[in-house]
Amino acid sequence: MLNMKTRKKSAMLLLTAVMSISLFGCSTGNTTTGNAAQPAGEGNTAAAAETTKPAGGKLVLYSAGPQKLADNIVSGFTDKTGIEVEMFQGTTGKILARMEAEKSNPVADVVILASLPSAQALKADGLTMPYPEAANADKLNKDWSDAEGNYFSSSASALGIVYNTKLVSTPPTSWADLATPVWKDAVNIPDPTLSGSALDFITGYLSANGEKGWDLLSAYKANGVAMAGANQEALDPVITGAKSIVAAGVDYMAYSSKAKGEPLDIVYPEEGTVISPRPAAILKSSPNVENAKAFIDYLLSDEAQKLVTDAYLIPGREDIEATNRTNVKDIPQLKVDWNWMSEHGEETAARFSETFK
Amino acid sequence: MDNNRIFRRVGVILALFLLTISIGVPLLLIFWQSVYVDGQWDWMAPIRTITGHHLSGVLLNSVWLGVCVVAVTTLLALPLAWMMAKTRMGEHRWVDVILMIPFMTPPYIGSMGWILFMQKGGYLQQWIPSSASWSEMFFSFWGMVLIMSLHLFPFLYLLLRDALIRIGGNLEEAGAVHGARAGYRFRRIILPLLLSSYGMGIMLVFVKTIAEFGTPATFGRKIGYYVMTSEIHKYISSWPIDFGKATSLASVLLSVCLVMWYMQSAMSRKFTYRLVGGKGQRSKRYSLRGGAGWLCGVYLAILLILSVGIPYFSIIAASTMKLRGSGLAFDNLTLDHYRELLSWGSVSMKAIGNSLGLSLAASTVAVIIGTGFALAIGRSSSFMQRVIDLFSLLPNTVPGIVMVVGLILFWNSPWMPVTLYNTYGMVVLTYVVLFLPYTVQYVKSSFTQIDGTLFQAGQVFGGKPLYILRRILIPLILPGMLAGWMMTFTIATRELVGSLLILPPSMQTSATYIFAQFEQGQVSLGMAMAVVTVGMTVLMLLGIEMLNSKRKWNAS
Repeated sequence: MLNMKTRKKSAMLLLTAVMSISLFGCSTGNTTTGNAAQPAGEGNTAAAAETTKPAGGKLVLYSAGPQKLADNIVSGFTDKTGIEVEMFQGTTGKILARMEAEKSNPVADVVILASLPSAQALKADGLTMPYPEAANADKLNKDWSDAEGNYFSSSASALGIVYNTKLVSTPPTSWADLATPVWKDAVNIPDPTLSGSALDFITGYLSANGEKGWDLLSAYKANGVAMAGANQEALDPVITGAKSIVAAGVDYMAYSSKAKGEPLDIVYPEEGTVISPRPAAILKSSPNVENAKAFIDYLLSDEAQKLVTDAYLIPGREDIEATNRTNVKDIPQLKVDWNWMSEHGEETAARFSETFK
Repeated sequence: MDNNRIFRRVGVILALFLLTISIGVPLLLIFWQSVYVDGQWDWMAPIRTITGHHLSGVLLNSVWLGVCVVAVTTLLALPLAWMMAKTRMGEHRWVDVILMIPFMTPPYIGSMGWILFMQKGGYLQQWIPSSASWSEMFFSFWGMVLIMSLHLFPFLYLLLRDALIRIGGNLEEAGAVHGARAGYRFRRIILPLLLSSYGMGIMLVFVKTIAEFGTPATFGRKIGYYVMTSEIHKYISSWPIDFGKATSLASVLLSVCLVMWYMQSAMSRKFTYRLVGGKGQRSKRYSLRGGAGWLCGVYLAILLILSVGIPYFSIIAASTMKLRGSGLAFDNLTLDHYRELLSWGSVSMKAIGNSLGLSLAASTVAVIIGTGFALAIGRSSSFMQRVIDLFSLLPNTVPGIVMVVGLILFWNSPWMPVTLYNTYGMVVLTYVVLFLPYTVQYVKSSFTQIDGTLFQAGQVFGGKPLYILRRILIPLILPGMLAGWMMTFTIATRELVGSLLILPPSMQTSATYIFAQFEQGQVSLGMAMAVVTVGMTVLMLLGIEMLNSKRKWNAS
């Protein structure tokens, strides 16, 4: 049975390889990936014997968020376990759309999303597979991960006020500042229907301030705050100087651009902000459950958590500190209610985009 | 004669079968999804979505945008087509390839180029600081119309130019002999003969405009102009996903496009004439001297600056910047991004290889199938032929993303014996389906203008159907096939929306690579990739153009 399956798989690979060769002579790259998968399958048994990890095969990962980090995690995982990873990289929205389209014939084993409410929704729909015995799960931040082990937030990012240092000499220190005439028409805010973290900020702010929270958002609109695409799209005009500030900007993007030398910096407003966790979950439909579990274990390992901090993200484990960015304990936080946020996400996003259109 | 009829009958049946499985069923599955909500039949679901959603405004936005873009593309393309067909300027064949550049450029990249150029602190203001007083006025509805027209006009231009060349000089000369003046000749001879090609052209421009996603997503969002595609895309790519709502909106968009199609086909039936007869034709080319020559030269120059110059200035500038925050300055220049992009064995090189391979495969398959369809459609005299015509046009009238979702639903369904999904073949299939309308349109447009007497002549002299096909039909429609192939190839190399959803995990094309770089904040790297892929396609087309001009299809 298993033999049949692998034979079928190799035939498929062979077919792909032959097709690629015949279709374009120049791309040696593609044919090598086609062939590389096969020896890896055999080599796994040896690797598995050493590490007592599940034997070989593959893992299909859908991952949102910074690509470099995902690439590093995938290659670290493959080095360690010999499991080949096929990755689809996109935004949270694209991943959910892909999963929906594949509903009747799912292929993904693990998803990493950039928004906690989406993971809560997956759990509520019964699409996730609990894995409570994951290694190091007890060291994770309790608020960001599921107690029953349906999802694990291996990283997070805080939202702040990101500004262009060439244009802004005295940065605003509170969310309310952005509604003052000084910043008229100079502020972008990411679109909450496209950016999970922006939605987390808006629902988080509302959950902490109640209906009064809308006063601030309407004041933003009146002050010419523009709703501008997903995170990077909102940040880009600030880098080039067309706008001065991103409200509710993702901090790791600001840190990494700043490290490159772009004129950017970030402040966390004094009244507090929202930290947006990035959950990973095993799908119930996963055809490679053992590999998926090994991947979650790897995500929570010291090694992967180091990769997370290198990417300027907040590590998901509370016992690990980042040296290149502000850590959780130094970021003022709003008292948010994730359950309220999860329940009201849809209507809030709709009301927000209706207001800002 | 009988032989011929069987030949055609088989062709029609085969075409219908292929269209049903590649386009019909996937679209049916989409509509199924929009009325079959949570395991319940709900015929009212689409209607409720539409009424409950301030949709009329968004729909009007889409239609108004389409109308304005059609008007502006006509203004841009018609004079140019006349110049390139009727004057000595037409001998500069390189112009055609340069004019294809805007069409090869992914729309959102082109819009980004304009945004970077015109925005506050943009390249124009860095260059000429005094322009700050007016340059931001560009961010309006008419700016968007201009961007979209500059992207689409080459398409209309090529259709019109080919039609003008086919009209040839002798009809006009006949008019002149009988004393008609230039204006009268244009109005009574050229215009009616041009109408069928023009109708087809503007229908496709209109449909492309209202089904376009890139520009509304980048530029439209900036100016707060929302259209149907942005709404559909919202439902399909952001949480919570709702295919039902998306498909309901898509069906409205589809209806608008079908109305356009009906009007066009009615017009085309009325104004189609046999232009390619057995007599051969001369086309007179005016030599341009003095004022007229200058005027044409200046017109072409302005058009090239607007459609290629400005966007590509921005794209190249952005691709060579060390720090995007430092702006235009010589010490801010670097070629590092190109070095990173073109390093052997890198992800980006693999993406380029994938794009080229996929596009070659898809455009070749599309030309073969599309030519078959176009011949089966013939002059769309029978009902079945009209059905094929409609079906082969559908992928162009449904927003790409909807078509792609339909294909996924079909090819990934549990009851399919072979799941093509997540394979290389699926990508090729999707591209073929998405771009089939181009080949069909181009081939159909050359085919309908061939005079039937040519085939009768072939038969009189004892030619078997295959011989007639090989020696009469194919040579006459070859320019159409070649145009279709080139068009498919160029668009396939930049196809984004479908690729994002159907590429197997771990596989990237140049377009998804660019998109990913934008998402990741590596704008310079993404722009460098755009320059490289468009550059490569241009070189390839120039090569084909050179080979082609040696063979002189249009010579008498």
